[in-house]
Amino acid sequence: MTEWIRYTLPVAAIASVASPAYAMEYLSIEEAQKQAFPSASQFTPIQAGRIWKAEAGGRVAGYFIFDRVVGKHLYIDYAVALTPTGAVQKVEILQYRESYGGEIRSPSWLAQFVGKTSTSSLKINGDIRNIAGATLSSTHVTEGVKRILATYGSRLK
Amino acid sequence: MAAASNRIRRARPLLGTFVEIEAAGPAQAEVVGAIDAAFDAVSGVHRLMSFHEPDSDVSRLNRQAFDRPVKVHQWTFDVLKTSIELHRESDGLFNIAVAPILQGMGLLPRHDEDEAEAIAREAIELLEGRMIRFRHRGTKIDLGGIAKGFAVDRALDALRHSGAVTCGLVNAGGDLGAFGAEVQTAHIRHPRHPGRVVCRIEFAGEALASSARRLDPFQSAQSDGSAIVRPDGKPLTNAIDGVTVRAPSCMIADALTKIVMISGADAGSLLELYQASALLITSDSEVRISPDLQSVVHLAA
Repeated sequence: MTEWIRYTLPVAAIASVASPAYAMEYLSIEEAQKQAFPSASQFTPIQAGRIWKAEAGGRVAGYFIFDRVVGKHLYIDYAVALTPTGAVQKVEILQYRESYGGEIRSPSWLAQFVGKTSTSSLKINGDIRNIAGATLSSTHVTEGVKRILATYGSRLK
Repeated sequence: MAAASNRIRRARPLLGTFVEIEAAGPAQAEVVGAIDAAFDAVSGVHRLMSFHEPDSDVSRLNRQAFDRPVKVHQWTFDVLKTSIELHRESDGLFNIAVAPILQGMGLLPRHDEDEAEAIAREAIELLEGRMIRFRHRGTKIDLGGIAKGFAVDRALDALRHSGAVTCGLVNAGGDLGAFGAEVQTAHIRHPRHPGRVVCRIEFAGEALASSARRLDPFQSAQSDGSAIVRPDGKPLTNAIDGVTVRAPSCMIADALTKIVMISGADAGSLLELYQASALLITSDSEVRISPDLQSVVHLAA
């Protein structure tokens, strides 16, 4: 048997500084629209900034709905693509913001957050990346999709 | 990943968490297609193995597999086979038949009246032709301790088989898997202090999974209660708050985190058997690292 090493964390490593904030942008609304309906030539707003009808060759290809829910502390932007008959085709996260993550992946993660507080939201880009462990926030997205279906699923047809 | 390649990252709500998939390859449209296929694989695992969806293989088994053998998808069969092997190798510590206990604790919803029994050994029988039979009426399974890791493995397969992607990474709420030569870095946060990073771990072409006691996200210094229970239904009595396991596959890494949460450093020989290694964080902020992980762990100063 080989030996496990033991290491006691210094108090400073666990008790100092404030919770960091971070944000991750996956897709803009326009990018998400194109990806959800690649064949669509036109997105007509039904409700400004929130609901679009996607049309391809004069026919309805589906509906695109933008929504936002609160995650653990901050907003999560997501989009739901509905088929012409009002069924969920795809749910995509557009932007994720939290005041802390799960495991956080990035080469310079620690350096990023020195001096930051939970109110100074941080834009992470380039080769900085992160996150995990967000069960509560994902529950809220799931509830949001259900709400969208209940509200628009039959009305948009 | 090569500088000239297109690197794309997407996230979707699946498996009760956010699943993030990142991949890089020479042609952007093909990378997007590969990521879509990888998400489809994760959705497939979600549909088959969800405890909550009435049409999943898991729900069909829980309803019918005592009365008659139930045919399941090859993926479900593979996960059950590995689960039974882990149950044996861990002397019963890994147990997918503890669903009645979790229901009793309010951690899983009850579907009907349960007799909280039949979580014993050999409760699940694998038959020819992907058929499954339960030996006890009260048996209920929950693959929550292993399916997320399996989904990560299937997503990585989809990326790999697309031929369009040179490297990729899948992160299903803390279960990570990577393929390709690129060295990945994961930071492990403190289970009681989520804003704090305990260490970073480097890994390449393998999987890293983490489990922790159930921590109230708003009161994370409190750590009473856990979705991980001993097979006898008793709560964990040891002082381990969080575990990270590195293994060749994410399914194995995911499952081994549950065993190490219960048995700590005593799981050493089991880790060796599965070519895995582990790091654990105790409630008094002690970090313990198994021998072969020491070279890739960098502790926070």
